[in-house]
Amino acid sequence: MIRSRVPAVILAALVLCIKPDCAEAFQSHPAPEGLYVHQIAHVVFMIAMGFLAYWLQYNQLIRERGWRLIQLACLLLILWNVVAFVGHWVETHIPDASVLGEPDWSQRIRIDLHPLIPLYYMLKLDHLVSVPAMIALFLGVRSLYKQALAEEHHFDE
Amino acid sequence: MNDSYPLAPVWFVDVVGSSLVIVFAFLAVMYAARLARIQKSSLIWTYMLWLCTALALFGLSRGVGHIAKRFLLMTDMRDVWVSLRPYSGGINTVAFVLVASITLFFQRVQKINREILQDKKALETASREVMHLNRNLESVVQERTDELSRSEQKFRRIFESSMDVIFILDDNGRFLDVNPAGISTLGYDRDLLVGQMGLNDLCTSGEAYASLFQELHTTGFVKDRECLFLARNGSELHLLLSATIRRGESGETLNYEGIAKDITSRVQMERQLQQADKLASLGQISTGIAHEINNPLGIILGYTQLLLREQAPASQMHDDLKTIEKHTRNCKGIVEDLLKFSRSTAIRKIPFDVNGSLAEVISLLAHQFELDKIDIRTNLDVTIPKITGDAEKLKQVFMNLLMNARQAISGKGEISVTTRRNGDSVDISISDTGSGIAPQVMNKIFDPFFTTKPVGEGTGLGLSVSYGIVQDHNGHIEVESRSGKGSTFTVILPLIEQSEAETTI
Repeated sequence: MIRSRVPAVILAALVLCIKPDCAEAFQSHPAPEGLYVHQIAHVVFMIAMGFLAYWLQYNQLIRERGWRLIQLACLLLILWNVVAFVGHWVETHIPDASVLGEPDWSQRIRIDLHPLIPLYYMLKLDHLVSVPAMIALFLGVRSLYKQALAEEHHFDE
Repeated sequence: MNDSYPLAPVWFVDVVGSSLVIVFAFLAVMYAARLARIQKSSLIWTYMLWLCTALALFGLSRGVGHIAKRFLLMTDMRDVWVSLRPYSGGINTVAFVLVASITLFFQRVQKINREILQDKKALETASREVMHLNRNLESVVQERTDELSRSEQKFRRIFESSMDVIFILDDNGRFLDVNPAGISTLGYDRDLLVGQMGLNDLCTSGEAYASLFQELHTTGFVKDRECLFLARNGSELHLLLSATIRRGESGETLNYEGIAKDITSRVQMERQLQQADKLASLGQISTGIAHEINNPLGIILGYTQLLLREQAPASQMHDDLKTIEKHTRNCKGIVEDLLKFSRSTAIRKIPFDVNGSLAEVISLLAHQFELDKIDIRTNLDVTIPKITGDAEKLKQVFMNLLMNARQAISGKGEISVTTRRNGDSVDISISDTGSGIAPQVMNKIFDPFFTTKPVGEGTGLGLSVSYGIVQDHNGHIEVESRSGKGSTFTVILPLIEQSEAETTI
């Protein structure tokens, strides 16, 4: 099967060498693609966290405190993904001129240039969601560790 | 300025939040690593380590990017940030996808982990049991051995002490084991019986054996089947046999197990009762006939003798009358025998010496037997006491039995006469090496007028009369015979106390 295709592959290679402009081997990727990929990654991240939260519930693992906290981390990360996704979208509609001053602690943002700017301002505070998510993850794993440690001691005794 | 918000809080939250995300993400990694370390065999903790690491990478890529951005912009290095920005965003996007990819394996990992834990639990349980067994193996084995021994002893006791014959046969019908009652009943040594002989060696009839095994193979068992076997001493054994066949998984015969009850005594007693009933009926008929015929015969004999006195001895009439007289006397003899059989004649019982009576009868017949080349061997027990009975009548019984024995022997032969005390009775056995009695006529030999002799040579009353006499003495006659080997007639007479002597029936 493979051997029968070898002549066809060689012929195609020769044609490309002679007339490469018709090959269309790759297409160009202009600027918005990066944002789209990032937004898609946010959606995938969100779906994955949703699955994890559901599986923890389905497998009845949330009866233990550690897994309950990890489920909370999942839900907060979903929320964070929503915030970030909307934030990225809103950012594309905000005019660059809305930010005033040098990029230091005195910098401000005008809210009269676009109605979405107040929302953008709030969405930029996304760490208020992601930090509790990471704290919940940390506390959950630590709780599981302590539980496992207690079980190990109990077993040793 | 009223239409603008300060961005300082945003930058502050951004920098501090990014730092905290990194810190907590790595703390989570640290605890996940500890978890994976203390429970190395747990796949779920390994997975958690991977997930936390991926989230830490996500937090790191994002946090470092945000902090770097803020730092570079504030230090007037916008160009640097512009060149780093695509990498920061790209790495951040890859981190998202990495976290999502790892997360989506959770259910599979959880399922595998659950199976591993179940297997582990099963292994641990099995291991504990093995350890427990190892620790207690000796005592467990001892306990089981004791239980087995108790069980074996229980069934062995039943096997050993049973009064019935219990046996096990192999698939060829040969004895694998027989209990002591079986050894005693059959009369064979265990070594001779087990492994050497089969049930067919004991069966009197091949047909009966074949029928027995056919039923066993057809129905799987036989229940209360009356079978006739031969003991080692040649005596017949009537056994009530129940047996089962034991088959293997593929239906092949493994062995046969059976239990048999010796009912020989019961069968003999039933036969004797039947014989007694039959003879009682015949006796009543015979008595009537004998009385009716005896008187006319007396008259015929009387008138014949009167006529004889008037005839000259050498005349034809005299000879004819003599013939009439002779046959009339024969007829009277038969009638008298009938009367004896029907016990209508008086019996006078007094103590007498059985051995002495036998010696008298033997001395009477010895000369005749010598001429017929028949040896008489006697084995008389001198210790047996006198018995109470009619000596003359019993001599007649012995005479009949000895004459029958002589007639059973064609040519040279031997007759053995044995007496012995057997508890409360005396056994008088008369054995011959003659032709024996055919099984089909065995139950008729005591019937009046039954004879195997040619017409005119025997009346067929000898044994029936003997039977009647012995019965009058509260005894009985047993017969053992093997066709072609000879017969043994045993007269069994009870020992009666002296105080009961001198009675007359």
